Amino acid sequence: MTRPTRFHVDTRRMLSRRTVLRGAGVAMGMPWLSAMAPAFGGVKRAVPRRFVAITLSLGLVPEHLFPTEAGRAWKPSPYLAALADLRDQLTLVSGTSHPGVSGGHRAEASLLTAAPMSNAAQSRNTESIDQHLARHLGGETRFPSLVLGITGSNSPSYTENGSMIPAETSPASLFTRLFVADSPAARERQVARAREGRSIMDLVADDTRRLERSLGAGDRGRLDAYFTSVRDLERRLVDAEAWADRPKPVVPIAKPVDIGDPNDVIARQRLMSDMARLALETDSTRFVTMHMGGGGGVVPVPGVDEGYHSLSHHGRDDDKLSQLARVESEIMKAFGDFLRGLAARNEDHETVLDRTTVLLTSNLGNASSHDNRNLPVVVAGGGFRHGSHLAFDRKNNHPLPNLFVSILQQTGLETDRFATSTGTLPGLDPV
Amino acid sequence: MMRHLHPIMLLVLAMVIVTAEGPVHAAGIEPPRTVALFLERHCADCHQGKDAEAGFDIGTLVLEAGSSAGDHAWTTLIDRVADGEMPPPDAEQPKAAEHSRFLASAGDWLSDSIRTRDAAIGRVRGRRLTPREVERSLHAVLGIDIPLADRLPLEPRPGGYTTVATRQSFSHHQLGRHLTVVDRALDEAFGRAALSPESLIRDLDPTAIVRTDPTKRCREPELRKGKAVVWSGGPIYYGRIPATTAPSDGWYRFRVTALGLKLPSTGGVWCTVHSGRCVSSAPLLQYVTAFEATEQTKDIRFTCWLSKNDMLEIRPGDVTLPRGRFADGQVGAGEGDKQDLPGLAIDRITMERCHVGADDETLRRLLFGDVPLDSVENKKTGTRRLRPRPADAKADVGRLVKGFAQRAFRRPVSKDVVASYVSLAHAQLKEKVAFVDALRAAYRAILCSPRFLFFTEEPGPLDDHALASRLSYFLTGGPPDGILMARADDGTLRDPAVIRREADRLLESDGLHRFVRDFAAEWLDLDQIDFTEPDTRLYPGFDPIVQAGMLAETHETLVDAFAKNRSVQWLLDADTTWLDSRLARYYEVPGVAGDDRRWVPLSSSSHRGGILAHGAILKVTANGNTTSPVVRGVWIGERILGDEIRPPPGGVPAIEPDIRGTTTIREQLERHRADASCASCHRTIDPPGFALENFDPSGRWRDRYLAMADGKRKAGIPIDPSATLPDGHSFKTFETFRSLVAHQPDRLARNLAGHLLVYGTGATLSYADRKAVAAIAARGARNDHGVRSILHEVVTSPLFTSK
Repeated sequence: MTRPTRFHVDTRRMLSRRTVLRGAGVAMGMPWLSAMAPAFGGVKRAVPRRFVAITLSLGLVPEHLFPTEAGRAWKPSPYLAALADLRDQLTLVSGTSHPGVSGGHRAEASLLTAAPMSNAAQSRNTESIDQHLARHLGGETRFPSLVLGITGSNSPSYTENGSMIPAETSPASLFTRLFVADSPAARERQVARAREGRSIMDLVADDTRRLERSLGAGDRGRLDAYFTSVRDLERRLVDAEAWADRPKPVVPIAKPVDIGDPNDVIARQRLMSDMARLALETDSTRFVTMHMGGGGGVVPVPGVDEGYHSLSHHGRDDDKLSQLARVESEIMKAFGDFLRGLAARNEDHETVLDRTTVLLTSNLGNASSHDNRNLPVVVAGGGFRHGSHLAFDRKNNHPLPNLFVSILQQTGLETDRFATSTGTLPGLDPV
Repeated sequence: MMRHLHPIMLLVLAMVIVTAEGPVHAAGIEPPRTVALFLERHCADCHQGKDAEAGFDIGTLVLEAGSSAGDHAWTTLIDRVADGEMPPPDAEQPKAAEHSRFLASAGDWLSDSIRTRDAAIGRVRGRRLTPREVERSLHAVLGIDIPLADRLPLEPRPGGYTTVATRQSFSHHQLGRHLTVVDRALDEAFGRAALSPESLIRDLDPTAIVRTDPTKRCREPELRKGKAVVWSGGPIYYGRIPATTAPSDGWYRFRVTALGLKLPSTGGVWCTVHSGRCVSSAPLLQYVTAFEATEQTKDIRFTCWLSKNDMLEIRPGDVTLPRGRFADGQVGAGEGDKQDLPGLAIDRITMERCHVGADDETLRRLLFGDVPLDSVENKKTGTRRLRPRPADAKADVGRLVKGFAQRAFRRPVSKDVVASYVSLAHAQLKEKVAFVDALRAAYRAILCSPRFLFFTEEPGPLDDHALASRLSYFLTGGPPDGILMARADDGTLRDPAVIRREADRLLESDGLHRFVRDFAAEWLDLDQIDFTEPDTRLYPGFDPIVQAGMLAETHETLVDAFAKNRSVQWLLDADTTWLDSRLARYYEVPGVAGDDRRWVPLSSSSHRGGILAHGAILKVTANGNTTSPVVRGVWIGERILGDEIRPPPGGVPAIEPDIRGTTTIREQLERHRADASCASCHRTIDPPGFALENFDPSGRWRDRYLAMADGKRKAGIPIDPSATLPDGHSFKTFETFRSLVAHQPDRLARNLAGHLLVYGTGATLSYADRKAVAAIAARGARNDHGVRSILHEVVTSPLFTSK
C-alpha cells in the first residue's frame, strides 16, 4: 500500500447512508450522524460547526434594512417584515465597517478578508475568513469549502497568498460533484489522473527549485508561491484519490437544471441556496461562500424595468429606489427561506441552523456613492444569542473584523485576532 | 512642543535595514545628510511618530528606504515638495536654494538606490503569463485554436495592466485551473491529431433558413417573395436560424447574402448578428457583427466561434428603426409586412467549419515530429484514427520531449532540465503505457512547469531568448515565432537595428490590429466597454451597432497612427475620424452612407476628432447613468497626460451624483474643493473632467444636463465645461481644452512611452525610470513625436532590454 497511513480507510466502520436510511425507515436527507463521520482524517471528531457567508456586490439600501430602534425592541423594517418569524435567530449589526478599507467596488476583495485596501490597491489581499476556517477545520469533509457564485466567477474568498478563488456558478455541476456517484470507470480514471497529476507535481516541484537557483533573489518569493501551490495541489490530489473511493451521500432530489437567464438573480439565488443547504446537511462541506454579483441586466421582478447595477446608482431618484427595493426585498425573502430550510433540519438535538453561522453582508454601505462604511450586516444561527439590533456609531464605525473573531471562536478556532480586529463583537454572545 | 528626530538617529536606523527583497547595497539605503536635515527641519513637526499627520511618518519612511513600499513613499514625498504642496503654506517655507538642494539630492539618492536594486534583482520580478498569454502560448505550442483564456481565473490589473507582475498571485486553485486548461488543450490537440473532424459545409437557400411551418407564429424568419425575411421588431431571439446550429464546438465561417426591405429615410437597414442557444433557459447571446442591409444585394462575411448547439440570430438591430408590434413575443408570417416596417431579406447563407490557427498537418508535426503515422480502423464504428508508429519509442520520446520543451520554454534547454521530463515518459513506457499517452504525460508536465508559466529573466541585460520572449509577448501576446527564435539562437537580437526590424515584422498586416486591440483594451479600458449599458430612458438611441462602431473608431485611429507614424498630437486633435453611417448619425456628422467604415473629414463645427471625443472613451469613463468629472479627470490624467494621481485619503466617500437635477456635480465639487487638503489634488484632477462634461455617458454631445421629472426627461441645467488648468491656462470649451493638451507633445509622448513600457515589461514606473522615459520621448521628438518612433525607442531602450 503506497498511500500514506493517515488515509487508511477502515471500511467496516463506515455505514452507507442508504443502509442507515433503509434500516431506519426515516425520511431521506438526514444530516450528520456520528457513525457516518469519516473513518479517517486526523482531527478529533466534534460537533460540526459551520459558516456560510452570503455576499452582495451592490449592498442593500440601509433605510430599508435596518430598524430605527436599537436593542431587542426593534420594529421590522421593510426588508425584515418577511423575516419576522426568524426574529429570535437573527442579529442586525449597523454602524460597522472594515478599518482602512475604501475604494468602492474594489473593496469587494476585502469583504471577507478585512485587508486594508484603498483605491491605490497596492496592498496585497489576505486570507478570507471562510478559507481560514477551511484551512484549519476543513479536513473532515469531502470539500474543505465551497465557493459559490450567482452570476459570475468573482468571489470574496481568497487564499492565504491573496489570490481569489473563482466561484462555482452552476448548481447542476455542483450537484454532480456533491451527490452523483461516479461510475467505477470514472473513479478509476480519477484515481489514475490524480496519481499522474501527483507525479507531475513532484517533477514540477523539483524543476521549480532548480529554476529558483538560476534566477535572481527578486523572483524567489514568486517561485516559492509557485512551489507551495504545487505542493498544495499535490496534497489535494492525494485527498481526491482517497475520497474517490468513498461513496457520495444520497439526496432525495434530482439533479437541478441551471437557470440560463443571468439576470434572474433571485431564482439563481434560491437554487444555489438549496444546493448549499444540501451540502451542509450532508456534511459534504462546512464552509460556504455564496456571492451575488451585480449584473447589469433587468431582474425579472414585477415592476422592475431597469438594470440592477444601474438601479443601485439610484442617485436618490424615487423611481429607481422603489425598483431597487423590489429586487432587494426578493433577495431578503430568499435569504429567509434559506434560513428556514436550515432550521427545519435536526441534527442530534439541535437544528442545522443552530450549528451554522450565516452572515449576509456587502462591501457597499451605499452603492450609489460607493461608500464602504456602514455596511449591511445580518448574522443568523450558529448558536449565538440573537434578537438584537446592535447599533454602533454610524459616524465612527465599529470594526467589522470583531464580528469575524466572534464567528471564528464560535466555529471552533481558538483565536483572538482577525486582520484589524480589536476584540470580539460586543453584544453578540454564545447561547 | 517641537519634536525632533535626531539626524544621527536617522543614519543609525538606515544602516540596519534589511529589505524583504534580499541584499541591497548599503550605500543605496542611507539618505544623504542634506535630506535628513531637511526632513528634520520641515517635516518632523507634523509627520513623526504614531500620530503623524495623514499617517505619513518619516520614521517609517527612513526604515522603509530601499524597499518598494519605501520607494513609493519617498516618491510621494519628493513630488509633494517639488509641487510646493509641502510644507503647507501656513508653515515655515524652505528657502529657494535649500528647496532645490533637497530635491536634487533626494532625487539622486532615491534614483541611485532604486537603480542599485534593479541592477541586483531586476525591475521586473517573477512575472508570469496572463490568461491571454497562456492561451496564445498553448495555441502556438500545440497548433490548436480553441478559446481557453476564459477558463482561467480573471487576471486583476494592478497599475492598469494584467501584465504587471507585482500583484500576480499564485495558488493551488490557480494551478488546478491551469492544469484543467492544459488538459483541455491536450485533449483538443491529440484529438485533432488522431482524427480530423469531417468537413462541414452547409449551403442554405431561403427555404432552409425560414420556419418549417409557415402557419405557426414563431421567431424564425418567414418566406416572402422567395427570400427569408426578418422585420424590425422586439421579440427576443426573433431572427434565429436553427439551420445554422453548430454540431460541435468550433470556428465557423459564414457568408450571408442579403438586402434591405422598405428602407428607412436614414439609409439602409442596420442589422446585428448574434450567436447563442436562443432559448430562454440560456438567454445569453454573443455579439458577432453588424452590417447595413442596402437596396443592392450584398455578401457579408464573418468567422465566429460557436459552442455546440449555438445558432445565429440575424435581425434588424438599429434601435432607432420603427419596430413592429407582435403579440406574445412571436411573429406570424405577414404580420410584419402589413405594418410597413424595415426588414432584412436573406438570399443565401453558407456555413463552413474551419480552423483559424494551424492546419491539421502542422499540428501533427508539432506533436509527433517525423514519427510516421498509421491509420487504424475502429472495427465497431468504422472510423479511422491516426496513430504514431515509433521506430524506437524510447529514443523518439526523448527527441520529441526535448523539442517540445524548447518550444514551451522558449529557449534552449539543458540536458538535466529535459532529463526529468523525459524520464517521466520513459517510466510510463516501461509500465506499458501507449507511446501517445507517455508523450502526452510528459507534455502535460512541461506545460505545468514554471519555465512555461513564468518569464525566466536573469538580473541585468536580458539574454537573447528572454528578450525575444519579452518582445513577442509585448507585441503579439504570444511566444516568439520561428524567425524571432532564430534571431535569438544566432545571437543577433540584441542589436537595436535587429530589434526594430523584428518589431516591425511582428506588427505586419494583422499583427498591428492585434497589438492595438490588446494594448488599448487595457491602456484605454476598452475591455470595459460592456460593463454598463447607458440608461435607455435617459440616453435613448444607443445600441450594439453604435458600440461596435465606437470601438472600431478608436482601434482604427490607433492602427492608422502606428502604421503612418503619426504624431501623438494627432491622436488628440485629428480633424478626421473613422465612421460608418450608423455612428455618423449618432454623432450627428452629416454625409456618411453605407456600412463601409471610412475616414471622414470633420468640419470645424463638429465636436469630434481626437480620442478624447471618441464615444468608446466617453462611455468607459462613465457609469451608464451619470458622468463624473473626477472619474474622467483621473482617467485623462493617468492615461493621456501621464500625471501620477494620488489616491484619495482613506474614509472619504465618493461624491454622489444627483440625477434629480437639483445640484450640479460642479457645485458639489466646488464645495469639496473649498477644503484645502482636497483642493491640492482636485485642482489637477477636475479640469479635464469638466472639459468632457459636454459628452453624456453614452458618448453623445449635450449642452444641458438632463433632469428627470415624473419619469420624463427634460432639459436641465446648462453645462459649464470651463476650468483653469494647474499651469494657469483657462478654457471655456472642450475644443479649447483639447487644443491646450494637444500642444504638449512632449508630455503626451512621455505618457505613451510610459504606458508602452509598463505593458511591455510588466513593471510599473519607478522614480528612477522617469529620466529614461523622458529620454525615450525626447528621442521620439526627433521624428515629430511619431507613435511608431516612440515604440521603436521603447523596444530598444535599456529599460526594455534589461530585467
